[in-house]
Amino acid sequence: MNSPPPVRVYILTWLALMALLAATFTLAHFRLGAANTAVGLAIAAAKVALVGLFFMHLRRASALIAIFAVATLFWLAILFGLSGTDYATRRIAPAPWSAPEGH
Amino acid sequence: MSARPDVVPVDVPWRRETASLGMWIFLATEVMFFGVLFLAYTHARLADPQGFAAASRLTHEWLGTINTAILLTSSLTMALAVRSGWAGHRALVIRLLWATAFLGAAFIAVKLVEYRLEWRDGLVPALHFTYSGPHARAVQAFFFLYFVMTGVHAVHLTIGVALVAWLALRDRDPSHPVRRRETAECLGLYWHFVDGIWIFLYPLIYLVELWR
Repeated sequence: MNSPPPVRVYILTWLALMALLAATFTLAHFRLGAANTAVGLAIAAAKVALVGLFFMHLRRASALIAIFAVATLFWLAILFGLSGTDYATRRIAPAPWSAPEGH
Repeated sequence: MSARPDVVPVDVPWRRETASLGMWIFLATEVMFFGVLFLAYTHARLADPQGFAAASRLTHEWLGTINTAILLTSSLTMALAVRSGWAGHRALVIRLLWATAFLGAAFIAVKLVEYRLEWRDGLVPALHFTYSGPHARAVQAFFFLYFVMTGVHAVHLTIGVALVAWLALRDRDPSHPVRRRETAECLGLYWHFVDGIWIFLYPLIYLVELWR
């Protein structure tokens, strides 16, 4: 991490981000079913990856910083994974005194 | 550049990495903080997908898209400010920091316009919620999450704008250039993180079944 990356890298990253924004906005106007959400999230992930790699300099970061960045995603996966299994496999059994419709 | 002798030698190679690493650890906790909100959104949306689609059609997707472009551009100016500090162009750093703060403030201004429109339309749960069409329950859940998530995001961004403006003012004083560079770098990481949160909020709020 001695010499800074060329300005060109930043401009190209920004152009790619804008192109992805235009792509996600345009694609959302087409009826793709469940793929609409998948495309939206995939493009968001691509944008965050670009921001992380080139604006936050993860591409040039040390292994230690890279591990922390990846560990963040790992903890997030635990949060979603374990909570998700709970919601996906259990039914809400309202107590007799619960308000109707309550959940 | 005239660097004064510092308490800790400022040019040790690991100093910069230590500062960045501390910021990354903080950001990891921030990801967990926003993570539960995204999880709540996922749960509520899966419970009534059509309701969330109906609610999303009540948002102003053009304002959201413009704001996304503003924030992505502010990340460019912030990254260039950090890079300029690194390359030793102090005057450029200050200008780029002001540009970043301005873009951040513009984002918040657009967001406030949006909040105003939602208040007018009676879409603010608990305070002013008059929507009674189909899926009213899910629409209310959507807007509850919308205000919490964009609100917490806006608070983060406001803090970011204040810190960037503070750094731009402090950077006029040429002493401690290395320290300033590290501050800018850590602030940059924070700024890009806040941008990243918005990048995920954007399709989840504005783009649900936009084809309707």
